[in-house]
Amino acid sequence: MSTRIIQTLVKKEMLDVFRDKKTVIMMLVVPIILYPLIFIGVMQLMAFVSSSMKEQNYRIVVEAEDEGRFLHKLEEFQKDRAESAGAENQAADETVRETTADTDGETDEEASGQSYEITIVDAGSITDYKEALNEEEIDVYVSGRMKDGKVQYEAYYLSSVENSSYAAGIVMDALDELKEDMTKQIITEQGMDIQAILEPIVYERQDIASSEQSIGNIIGSILPFMLVISLLMGTMYPAIDTTAGERERGTLETILTLPVTNRQLIISKFITVAVIGMVSAFLNILSMGVITLYMYKMLDMQTDMGSFDLAKFIPAILVCILAVFAFSLFISAVTMCVTSFAKSYKEANNYITPLMLIVMFVGYIGFIPNIELTQTIAMIPVANICLLIKNMMAFKIDYGAIAVVLSSNVAYAVIAILFLSKIYDSEAILFADGKAGLQLFERRSNLKKGGVPTVSDVWFVVAVTILLMLYVGSLLQIRFGLAGAFGTQMILLLVPLFLVVYTKRDIRQTYGFARTKAVNFLGGALISVGMVLLNLVITAALMKLFPQSTENMETVFSELFESNVVAAFVVIAVTPAVCEEMLFRGVIMHSMKAKYRVSSAIAITAVLFGLYHMSLVKFIPTGLIGLLLCLVAWKADSIYPAMLMHFINNAISVIVSYYPEQVEKVLPVFAKTTLSVSDALCLSGAGLVLVGIGWAVLVKARKADKAVIS
Amino acid sequence: MITADNLVKTFIRNEKKNKKSEFNAVDGISLSVREGEIVGILGPNGAGKTTLLRMMSKLMKPTSGMVSVRIGEEELTDEIEVKRHIGYLSNNTKLYGRLSTRELLQMLGVLYGIAEEDTKHRIDEISEVLSMESFLDNRIEKLSTGQTQRASIARCLVHDPQVYIFDEPTLGLDIISSAAIVDFMKGEREKGKTVLYSTHYMEEAEYLCDRIIMIHQGRIIGEGTPAELRVQTGRDSLRDIFAGLIDENGGLESDMRDLGKEEAGKRRVRR
Repeated sequence: MSTRIIQTLVKKEMLDVFRDKKTVIMMLVVPIILYPLIFIGVMQLMAFVSSSMKEQNYRIVVEAEDEGRFLHKLEEFQKDRAESAGAENQAADETVRETTADTDGETDEEASGQSYEITIVDAGSITDYKEALNEEEIDVYVSGRMKDGKVQYEAYYLSSVENSSYAAGIVMDALDELKEDMTKQIITEQGMDIQAILEPIVYERQDIASSEQSIGNIIGSILPFMLVISLLMGTMYPAIDTTAGERERGTLETILTLPVTNRQLIISKFITVAVIGMVSAFLNILSMGVITLYMYKMLDMQTDMGSFDLAKFIPAILVCILAVFAFSLFISAVTMCVTSFAKSYKEANNYITPLMLIVMFVGYIGFIPNIELTQTIAMIPVANICLLIKNMMAFKIDYGAIAVVLSSNVAYAVIAILFLSKIYDSEAILFADGKAGLQLFERRSNLKKGGVPTVSDVWFVVAVTILLMLYVGSLLQIRFGLAGAFGTQMILLLVPLFLVVYTKRDIRQTYGFARTKAVNFLGGALISVGMVLLNLVITAALMKLFPQSTENMETVFSELFESNVVAAFVVIAVTPAVCEEMLFRGVIMHSMKAKYRVSSAIAITAVLFGLYHMSLVKFIPTGLIGLLLCLVAWKADSIYPAMLMHFINNAISVIVSYYPEQVEKVLPVFAKTTLSVSDALCLSGAGLVLVGIGWAVLVKARKADKAVIS
Repeated sequence: MITADNLVKTFIRNEKKNKKSEFNAVDGISLSVREGEIVGILGPNGAGKTTLLRMMSKLMKPTSGMVSVRIGEEELTDEIEVKRHIGYLSNNTKLYGRLSTRELLQMLGVLYGIAEEDTKHRIDEISEVLSMESFLDNRIEKLSTGQTQRASIARCLVHDPQVYIFDEPTLGLDIISSAAIVDFMKGEREKGKTVLYSTHYMEEAEYLCDRIIMIHQGRIIGEGTPAELRVQTGRDSLRDIFAGLIDENGGLESDMRDLGKEEAGKRRVRR
């Protein structure tokens, strides 16, 4: 009986979902039409770019005291290139394979390198080469001065301009050749054997990876991410449709009147979503596979990649299919859990956004080299699937890991379904007919003034802010360095501020702009100093545990720290103290506090603050800082002490980085990379005492306040 | 026959910040409806009508108290068993717009555990009675309001239930559509079915109901046939009786006043 009921319900859900145009479009049109279209577009773009590169003319200024040697070389260089390009075009008409087969090494470069023209600009016409480079009047400026009997060449270029970088590469190549020519000339003059001196040994690198292995390696880093995303996209719409959609259309109450248990209802919905997810993932893979094969065929015609045997991939593909199956169970259950809280499509979409960000973030693990599928990672959803597929494609087969990954996915799916049935048992959620939490999309005139933003609004804005920070912010930072970091902080400040202003919220209340006693600042300052000491110990411990990742962290920072000390102080210490605090201890904490208990609000804010720093290693120390900042902002009923604390914390790290010698003299512990046990104990003891005193000060101030009121 | 025994439903109301308060939407209601009887539930907005009817049709679990349905000699209390014998209709029981009425009814037949052949007969029968032949195979989202209403009635008819529970079935309908529902309920009474329903319309209640139960703030404040109620209160029209009973029981207190404020608030915002 039960199976028949589930069958009927699944049939109904399937009919319902498939008769919805949106789902069908997402399922079919995207993989079958959009991917090939994107592919064709990309090919066109590449063709366009390469053709525009072909016509490229590089303007080079040479001012060298070398009797025109380099100038001559450059002209010769250009002539050679032009000839070889012409010869290659001719050869291409005949047999492509031969030209690539008999000339080794250099031809690769020539095939990919573009032919170009070099214009030697008269040095007399340039007064200030820096300005000329910046104005893009010239691409490279080469100077050559006699120094110690040698000509010392300097090639000036602008790395931020593509043409300039490319031209600089050509100049460097020409200089290499010039050097070689001159070496040969000297050797001949000395009457020695060129061959014996320049090439006393012969060596070559031989790749013993089979073509299957190298192809598997490439596929293995891309495929998992694509699979995870396409499964998520595939399950998203049916998940919304069967949960939030059902509620929005008002059929939920109808189905609840039927003699069907909640479990039957959930299982049938779940089967529907999982099956549709799998089908759409399959279509996605198929479409991508066809495109890849097509590209492979095209490449195969131009270059000889060696034969490769598809049959060798069969075990990998079988495991992949199993993995897709297990993952679709997991992701369907999770998406349904998330969308079940929503009362409408719009709301469900907003709940999905953070989930999508997390999945994408974790799914990125497949691109990171050298991460092994350990027992721990095999338990982490999303990451485990990505690494498993990657390993399978690289022919690293570990049956234990396969079993753990597959069973943990199924286990998580079961847990999620149990949670889902809890939701469907909860009348408070099912029959809630309150307004949607998201006000950002309401007409502004319908919004009431005052209060703090709703939690859904804040989640949405946080997602948008993080996306902007990831894409725009990191771009700004790469391009403009310190100024870019400032820009990123502005994103953190302005996007949420827009929400607050647009939804007519109370700015003082949302941000906690409230006057507070001077004592609270003292308490905050004490806590922040204690916090710095504690974090020294924590960071040292983490460095021991994960030596590699901390090194990365250091290099990223050192680049920022290279600039002017005042600017660094403003951007690294002052701006985050204002902008990050206004986002975390302002908007996020206050909106969470309005909906949840204080403890949960603080925990959520602290965890978000830790995650915001985008590093697993930094998560613990920054999470701790976030926690303490929240606690102070809450106790003091004001954001200002938290801003001071944040400033102190960041200012200390600026000082340590800029004046390492001075700091080492005064406080040697700051300069050490490893701490002895006694050091660690002293530091953490002192840190805890400071935090304790600071907290006591805050609590006392609070009590005094209450006494005055009563 | 359907019986409710001392039903209580407690909701937790979220008040500002971290304060939560409990209140009883239904506060100890007992009632029973016999075969061949139509009982109407009257009450102002927020009186607990919907919650009461949801509990009686087993959509919601009561905080305390019991609901049972008696079919012949059998006394049913199990959620699934009771649902099998109830036809429930409310403003919130919409139909699956992307299915046709026939598909929907066939599916329901399976879910109610009716043999396929029987379902087919039943569908023919119902569509004749409600004259739905012309649109039986159209998608429900394409139907007119009146047709949708008939499809909705067909939905609660398909398993030939012993008990009907309707929550404000005529709300917002035009005269013809609501007349169809009223006639339908009368017809089912003739067949000896049990009908419990809630409404705002006094005239309709007076015309249709064998007994009327008035509830206010989750409690029964008056009960009886229209004639009995007249005698009890000494008033003539149902409207006056109703207003009088509410006044005696604390008036429209907080709920209604709050409602008034909310309305005023909305108006202010609109301006």
